[in-house]
Amino acid sequence: MINASEVLSSIQSAFPGAVLDSRVESDRRLWATIDSEKILDVCKHLSTKLNFDHYSGAAGVDWIARNEMEVVEIMASHGAHQVVAMLKVKTPRENPSVRSLTGLYWNANWYEREIWEMFGINFEGHPEQYPLLLSDELMGAWPWRKDYKGYPDLTTGERAIQITTPEGYMELHVPPTPAEVEAGTVVKERPKYPSFREREEKEIKSDAEMIMHLGPQHAMVPGPFLLDILVEGERVKKAFLDLGYIHKGIEKIMENRSWLQGITYTDRMCYVASLSNNECYCGAVEKILGLEVPLRAQYIRVILEELSRIQSHLIGTGEFLTLVAGVGYAPWQYMIMDREKIISLIESVTGARLTHTFVRFGGVRNDLPEGFAEQCRKVLPFMKSRTEEFIELFAQDPIYSLRMENIGSIAPDTAKRMGCSGRVLRAAGVAYDMRKEDPILVYPDLDFKVVTGTRGDSADRIDVTLREILESIHIIEQCLDKIPSGPIKTEAKIPKKVPAGEAYYRVEDPRGEMGMYVISDGGDKPYRVKVRGPFYATFQTLTPLLEGVYIADAVAIAGSMDGCPSEADR
Amino acid sequence: MLKRNMIKNFSWPLKTATREIEITRLYPEVMMELPAAERGIHELDATTCIGCASCARICPNSCIEMVHFKFGNPLKNKKMQFPQIDYGRCMFCGLCVDECPVECLTMGKKVTMAGWERKDIVKSPDFLATKRFSDKEVKDLEAEAKRIAAEKAAAKKAAAKDGAAKEGAAKKPTKEGASVAEKKKPEAKAKPEEGSAASETKKEESKAEPKEGGAS
Repeated sequence: MINASEVLSSIQSAFPGAVLDSRVESDRRLWATIDSEKILDVCKHLSTKLNFDHYSGAAGVDWIARNEMEVVEIMASHGAHQVVAMLKVKTPRENPSVRSLTGLYWNANWYEREIWEMFGINFEGHPEQYPLLLSDELMGAWPWRKDYKGYPDLTTGERAIQITTPEGYMELHVPPTPAEVEAGTVVKERPKYPSFREREEKEIKSDAEMIMHLGPQHAMVPGPFLLDILVEGERVKKAFLDLGYIHKGIEKIMENRSWLQGITYTDRMCYVASLSNNECYCGAVEKILGLEVPLRAQYIRVILEELSRIQSHLIGTGEFLTLVAGVGYAPWQYMIMDREKIISLIESVTGARLTHTFVRFGGVRNDLPEGFAEQCRKVLPFMKSRTEEFIELFAQDPIYSLRMENIGSIAPDTAKRMGCSGRVLRAAGVAYDMRKEDPILVYPDLDFKVVTGTRGDSADRIDVTLREILESIHIIEQCLDKIPSGPIKTEAKIPKKVPAGEAYYRVEDPRGEMGMYVISDGGDKPYRVKVRGPFYATFQTLTPLLEGVYIADAVAIAGSMDGCPSEADR
Repeated sequence: MLKRNMIKNFSWPLKTATREIEITRLYPEVMMELPAAERGIHELDATTCIGCASCARICPNSCIEMVHFKFGNPLKNKKMQFPQIDYGRCMFCGLCVDECPVECLTMGKKVTMAGWERKDIVKSPDFLATKRFSDKEVKDLEAEAKRIAAEKAAAKKAAAKDGAAKEGAAKKPTKEGASVAEKKKPEAKAKPEEGSAASETKKEESKAEPKEGGAS
């Protein structure tokens, strides 16, 4: 198994002069600034020679003081080694442009589109550089640049007037001042891109085909997203996905809040996995600060995160069953009834049912209450028997297996190439779990195995989910036996201003790989927080999966992925 | 085989239907039992609050506003303000509670706060304060504050007189001498103040006792 310094020396020997600046943080993290001309060659070298087959995401950073922009490519491997390479590519702030990696990695598509629409960094060779998250009128404003002033421009907001467009919509218009006209700095017409509708209607080739809308609203999906399918008879020919209905811009909000306040926003990205999100953000900041978390606090974090995983899996399975069965809320109720016990356990520690704001830099907020272990030992065996019952019910039901087996199946190689994670990847048979790959807290001391499936279809995904609940129960039982007494917060004083630095931290969210890339410039607020959400990656694989399936299966496939559009639209 | 399995699965709900289930369906009549760590409506200890506004500064939604409140401690600061919380915006994250340096702000188990109007859910310190000085205590404390102010003023006058006398005496020497005289002043001030404060508390106690005796 190679480590970070070996990766660096391999790049340097293969491409002399390509690495402009480098830093080996640990055996598992490599930071390198790559010459923008050679980024494609370096990535090709990494993927073919060094097993970097997992493109984990990309982040854009606007360094306004240095008058340049940066794209950070996050590369990892599916189990061949544990190195995460953070490759930075710099580009000037005027007409920023970077080579696109979509030719090498299929899943680079959405990450690059997001950076393009938020920062205005052009990606040379990108096949479909269209708006993904933002609405059309925000295009060209580049909202995540540091000099963005708000929409409509806050400095001119008072002058904004409402006008009626030829199509009959009301729009805000800011008339230019005479001074602006004289100086020639009038904002020109914002560029127009083909809209979502125009793009999908272009695909209709014959009269036999038509477009069906699934969404944006659906009774059982926790957030809105538009899934349009182009159908010919019963078969789906092509699927289109539109995001951004609840885009909150959390990454930008966190740049304007203090370090501590940022924790509350991570809760709101995905409310059923809020403890994992807390952990991810706090872990990244702890890494920059160099804080040690006391052992007891680490155990408390693990216990609560695993409890949170159980309740998330239960609610996900319940949603899926209601989507598939269509027999009302009966299966949903069974899951919710059991989940209630887990939620009460979490509430007794954190004091809140969903948005916990529980993890702190260098510790946790509350200690475990008295009698928590006993309560846990009462609930967990019940949960275990219940889950085993569920697994048995799913396995023996002939209608369910006829309906779900070999529906939306993904081969292991395809799953790796698509960059999905969590249950979708593990159901395909790839044992890729952040708790093993990038171990944090006390996970290395605990005994658990990564649950994998064989076929990679919808039935397998649910099976993996339910068996993961059993693993989580096993982990919590070990933690309850091992948990030591001691302080729950670090004794070191946590400064209001975090020293300059950067960190990338990964945790295993209930939905898969969750990573946060946090940059500090020495101020009291983060300079940039990039969230690599698990469902954003999995969502991208939905459209190719739907090609060729029956209409009725489209909902089942989408449901089996345990979607959380709120997190994709963070 | 297929049929038998299906019957097994269909009978499963019947089995679970007989179980007793704990859910929140009894809500308006029976409140759910809440844990001790519950983060509900805030509870303010107005007797210890120092009005530092740490809670208002850390609040991510800026829903805490510092306002005047009658039942606080007038001994500490005349213009002291207390947190007023807009529950229309509060998200119960508990950062304000963590930040409080004197631990006077806590979160209780009360969670119902519905109101007919938007202003109904803006809760003033009068609503939040679970612990506060009574009317009588406030009056006593105000009287004490007045006395302290009077004492201070008297001490100041005396100090000023002393200083004037000293300055008059020390007019002749050079600047260095003047600065020495200035340095001496605060010492002269501090001594009588301490003495007066001690005597005051004694006086108060002696006054309070006969009052209580009279009432009983």
